Amino acid sequence: MERVERELFWSEHKKLWRRASVKISVLLCFTYVVVFGSVLSFQWFSLGSLSGYSTGFGNNFDGYSVIRDSQAYTLPFAGDLTDETIQQLVRDYQRMYREGLEEESQRTDYLTVNLWLRALWPELEDSADYRQMIYYVDPEKLTGLYERRTQALETFLENNGQSGREKEAILKLEEKAGKPFRYAWTRGWSILLCNIIGDMGTVMALFLAIALSPVFSGEWHDHTGFLVMTTKNGRRGIARAKICTGIAFAIELSVLLTAGILAAQLFFLGTEGWDASVQNIKMLAVAPMNMLQAEIYEFAFTLLGAVGYAGVVMLISAAAKNNVLALLLCLAVTYVPPVAAQYLPYGAQKAMDLIPLVGSGTDLLRTNTFSLFGRYVWSPYLLLAVPVLAGVLCMPFAVRKWARGR
Amino acid sequence: MELSFERLTKRYGSKAAVDGVSAVLKPGVYGLLGANGAGKTTLMRMLCAILAPTFGEVSFNGREVTAMGADYRDILGYLPQDFGYYPNYTAEEFLRYISALKGIPGRIAQKRIGELLELVGLSHAASRKLKTFSGGMKQRVGIAQALLNHPKVLILDEPTAGLDPKERVRLRNLLADYAGERIVLLSTHIVSDVEAIADEVLLMKEGKVILQGSVPQLVERARGKVWELTVPEKEAGRWEDRATVANFRHEGNMAVLRVISDEKPLESAVPCKAGLEDLYLYYFGTMEGGETDGAR
Repeated sequence: MERVERELFWSEHKKLWRRASVKISVLLCFTYVVVFGSVLSFQWFSLGSLSGYSTGFGNNFDGYSVIRDSQAYTLPFAGDLTDETIQQLVRDYQRMYREGLEEESQRTDYLTVNLWLRALWPELEDSADYRQMIYYVDPEKLTGLYERRTQALETFLENNGQSGREKEAILKLEEKAGKPFRYAWTRGWSILLCNIIGDMGTVMALFLAIALSPVFSGEWHDHTGFLVMTTKNGRRGIARAKICTGIAFAIELSVLLTAGILAAQLFFLGTEGWDASVQNIKMLAVAPMNMLQAEIYEFAFTLLGAVGYAGVVMLISAAAKNNVLALLLCLAVTYVPPVAAQYLPYGAQKAMDLIPLVGSGTDLLRTNTFSLFGRYVWSPYLLLAVPVLAGVLCMPFAVRKWARGR
Repeated sequence: MELSFERLTKRYGSKAAVDGVSAVLKPGVYGLLGANGAGKTTLMRMLCAILAPTFGEVSFNGREVTAMGADYRDILGYLPQDFGYYPNYTAEEFLRYISALKGIPGRIAQKRIGELLELVGLSHAASRKLKTFSGGMKQRVGIAQALLNHPKVLILDEPTAGLDPKERVRLRNLLADYAGERIVLLSTHIVSDVEAIADEVLLMKEGKVILQGSVPQLVERARGKVWELTVPEKEAGRWEDRATVANFRHEGNMAVLRVISDEKPLESAVPCKAGLEDLYLYYFGTMEGGETDGAR
């Protein structure tokens, strides 16, 4: 980038950040994702101990100590996940139940363990018993963890209509997930990966649209068109600077939120359990990843999705001459597909996930694939690459559209 | 150095906003005069290459300006009539932004911005946001941005709009100083501004340049057509209906009228020295180009 282009970029960048709507958007986005979504979620909504009410807001404001207690409780069970680990976890939980140690039992990973039981030992579920399986299942019968998991996965794929070469591709991927799985306290990671980072993109889309949709269309509102057209760099020069500004803003917002989430994570969860397998969260997941890798994937997914979405937003902004119309179209790109998906065939639904910030980073816990020239590709790979490519592809069209506009 | 345009035409459907206008502009100040809708802004936009002519072409030193592209824009300074700005920028930041658009390196731009803000009397408001500026202050920022790149061709559409008399004088002096070896074309409704600084005037009407020449040459055309007559006050209204009255003042119970007319309007009428405004009124009837131009 030449010096003058750099100055133009910084001028555009400054202009963007000067807008009150941008500052408010960033503040609201940060508040929602980091303050509410992370800090208060860890401390209160999700990991605060139950106060006797059934609602999330009935939790006590003591997440920090609950997390410490839970991590300390789980430490003796941490390591390779085997039949014995599960048996010990179940046995200990049942002991607490018998002894009426209700408060202590909340420190355990009972929600996670219960999910494993239902997925791998469904025949042990007593439909007449209203309680969760972990309360009554016989620990001695919890054997054959990995054989049962393989069987359950194959059954799941068959039921899902994923057979033949698709099934083969998934199982081949699954082989890369090292066994035995590593176990650590999972609940915190589950909330972090499935809720906090998983929802980040959806929220970001709203605020990115508010901030970036007037980048081009706002020029019509400011009546600066004739002025710009008579300058040396002209509309094309300014369009390039605007595109760079849009990308920079998407990255800045992502980095800001990521930094906030990471700070909250380090404060509340620490690094404990970073090397545990993602299968702890969902036993039938095939991702050959540990928690840290999954977290990196999800942050990368959001960052690339945000950049891709910025490209789409800027193309819309360059094409529309009205701020409100541009904003509505930008919001429609992200929020209409999930609503419309229920009326579409399965293939189209999956294709819509490739629209920037429409899909979810939590797909890495699923077994979805895309058929690409006869090859089955695990969906997280494409969900990472296609949205950003789509956005980048939009950018030259945005420049062209704007440069030609009158 | 010359900016020429030949048979320049811009049509919107069957209406010609500019109709076959030709001229050659050499260094100096040119004033473009005309009523609303005469085609001044359309002509200026075509000269700035932001509006494509339906017919004809604009050339700078023999090269067609649209073909010159960025090279032409590099030597062009333009103040549009509806000057757009970014309300959250300060004057200095706005000029920095336009400097970057004009491809002026930062250090040079910084120095130039300081000079120009001084020149247009806005040094004290350099750090204030544009949204807090009065109309006249914004206009002065607009003039400053047009001058940022030392343009060889400076086109100003209604630069004196919103300026108070003192600011208008300042601008006139500034442009007179600036012109030198440059081409400056400005349009305005305020005839006295053009009269004060323009080396040559182009009078536009209904898309055509109906007169072109220096101020004395044009004023000469109005010679013998400007009269002063004193009539009873109650008859003043009748004269306003019958002829183009350039001025009207009371003297006791009499009215002293300055009338533009080919013929001596009254035996007692006294011939007056004509000015550019008289010529303007001779062709346009009223300042806004109404239909009461009975003098023609």
